Amino acid sequence: MKKMQIFEPAMCCSTGLCGVGVDTELLRISTVINSLKKNGINIDRFNLTNAPMEFVNNKAVNDLLQTKGVAELPAAVIEGEIVITGRYPSYEDFAQLLDIPLSFLGEKDETFNILSKSSNCGCSDGSC
Amino acid sequence: MEIFNPQQIKLTKYLFYTGKGGVGKTSAACATAVTLADSGKKVLLISTDPASNLQDVFNTDLTNKGVPIKDVPNLVVANLDPIKAAAEYRESVIAPYRGKLPDAVLDNMEEQLSGSCTVEIAAFNEFSNFITDDQTQIDYDHIIFDTAPTGHTLRMLQLPSAWSNFISESTHGASCLGQLSGLESKKEIYKKAVETLANGKLTTLVLVSRPEAAPLKEAERASGELAEIGVKNQTMILNGLLASYDDSISESLYHKQQRALADMPQDLRNLVTYAVPLRAYNITGIDNVRALLTKDNYVLRDEKIHAQAIPQLKEVIDDLYNTHKKVIFTMGKGGVGKTTIGAAIARGLAVKGKKVHLTTTDPAAHLKFVIDETSGITLSHIDEQAELKKYQEEVLAKARATLSEEDIAYIEEDLRSPCTQEIAVFRAFAQIVEKAEDQIVVIDTAPTGHTLLLLDSTQSYHKEIQRSQGDIPESVKKLLPRLRNAEETEVIIVTLAEATPVYEALRLEEDLKRAGIGTKWWVINSSMYRRGTTNLLLSAKASNEIEWINRVDQHAKGNFAVIAWSADEVKGDKLLAL
Repeated sequence: MKKMQIFEPAMCCSTGLCGVGVDTELLRISTVINSLKKNGINIDRFNLTNAPMEFVNNKAVNDLLQTKGVAELPAAVIEGEIVITGRYPSYEDFAQLLDIPLSFLGEKDETFNILSKSSNCGCSDGSC
Repeated sequence: MEIFNPQQIKLTKYLFYTGKGGVGKTSAACATAVTLADSGKKVLLISTDPASNLQDVFNTDLTNKGVPIKDVPNLVVANLDPIKAAAEYRESVIAPYRGKLPDAVLDNMEEQLSGSCTVEIAAFNEFSNFITDDQTQIDYDHIIFDTAPTGHTLRMLQLPSAWSNFISESTHGASCLGQLSGLESKKEIYKKAVETLANGKLTTLVLVSRPEAAPLKEAERASGELAEIGVKNQTMILNGLLASYDDSISESLYHKQQRALADMPQDLRNLVTYAVPLRAYNITGIDNVRALLTKDNYVLRDEKIHAQAIPQLKEVIDDLYNTHKKVIFTMGKGGVGKTTIGAAIARGLAVKGKKVHLTTTDPAAHLKFVIDETSGITLSHIDEQAELKKYQEEVLAKARATLSEEDIAYIEEDLRSPCTQEIAVFRAFAQIVEKAEDQIVVIDTAPTGHTLLLLDSTQSYHKEIQRSQGDIPESVKKLLPRLRNAEETEVIIVTLAEATPVYEALRLEEDLKRAGIGTKWWVINSSMYRRGTTNLLLSAKASNEIEWINRVDQHAKGNFAVIAWSADEVKGDKLLAL
């Protein structure tokens, strides 16, 4: 399995809900990553405010910041190599880069919702 | 009623002084601290008011860690300034990366760490440390908190429970806490803070009030809400009690107080209550602090008013009308009468035929006690809970359009973060200011501290807007430019002719200037000098006002008005007579 990391600009929280306006792109990315996690795929998200050390240690990202600046963020990295800059990966990017079916991404889709409900019953405490 | 004497009362280790603005929380807390320190106890006195006045009282520059007071050997005093705490926090996050990351990147981090959420958490962490730190507990016999006016303080004392609950219920690592890395590790501290606050052997809530209707009502509310989170060991101090009268003015003050005491809310009657007598002098300087609980000195000062004629509020209203102001704020220390002055201005402009909206950003204010929705005036207030709900629903509606139910549950969780409330309130504020498109908006603000934080977040959000990808409401985009436009916006500084409210107002004006917001008019409210009295205590008090009236006159270059003290509550049609 390929390992993806996303390096993000400084922000208040990863869903962007404490920002000044609702950023639907951040909502999308937060939930996609959550869905992937449920399918056993962990994507690391580093944002400048809570994990600045990662931006120092990752040479490719550090070079990107030094040469092109902070506007290049967010950047997606696979196996130490920068594959996307200046935007978050699309659904298709995820599927392609990680080589996984689109259904892993939890895209809004009636069939998938029914499937996912049958697998984890939809209640938070698991007492159903 | 027994006179308050800290030496004769068994006091717990932690003491919280709370109450409406202007009731004398700081005076009572300082007098307690100095009396206990003089009797040999080790005392730490901490202000949690972002607009603290402790530096004026002790005439000493203070820090948020604590400074020993030269003339009171056992006393250490700290000002817990949220904006400073946030700046320190920011620096601690960024410093290790200087030189390792480009400056533009560090600026980006710094900007993001400037939101109201960071400010609130940073201050609140320091507060939690003070009530849970083992060494502090060993070092001091008493730790006294002089808190901000009620609205702000209720929130702060409720936060330990709110964050504890949020952290323990969170299933995905509470991403909203992300910016304060390691906040989850603070869970134990918050839990301990909650326990300490609720432990009656360790903590006493001292409700400070004046013998007047409005502050007593607010004390009742604070008492109830704090009992709900377990702070049940409560006592009350009635400050500024007049014991006797000998002219019509002192008689009307006496009866006003006695009436308020007779109508005291039932829940407060069950509390052990102490009195502090009305004093003629300002409670600044160690000598006056020491004297507050023990003696008065009626010194009549023979200073003269410099102004040829003292302007009235009518002249302020005329000027606002003639210069076509659209957004009018009343700002100042708690208890100076911002709501009354705001209502009087709204009424005055409505009478001149303007369409006026009167609103308040003070969670503890009640406009309807002062004014009705008469012709030309509409009223509103920011209901924090309702605004939070509105914001949550707005976000969820957007999320439902694109996301699955499971994902929505994930977002709902983040929306329960105590941080979200800050953003919701801020957006409500922006919406209110936007009403100025087609009418005059008069905004009665919360006491200074709360208002400073609102301005601070207005500025940091303004920076964020300039680079944010988010979907930003028009009202938020236009907010700061509108506040900075002196043709549209006017801030009326309201004060009393006393040391503390004037100092606080001067600092407030500096902060406004830094934010690019100008001021012109000062209004001195409740002046005993203007009323005129022959009662010895009250005329000594009136003579002490002259120095401050002159100072405001000079500072505001004559753009000031003085309103006489009134025995009756000023509301309805009486507003027009100010």
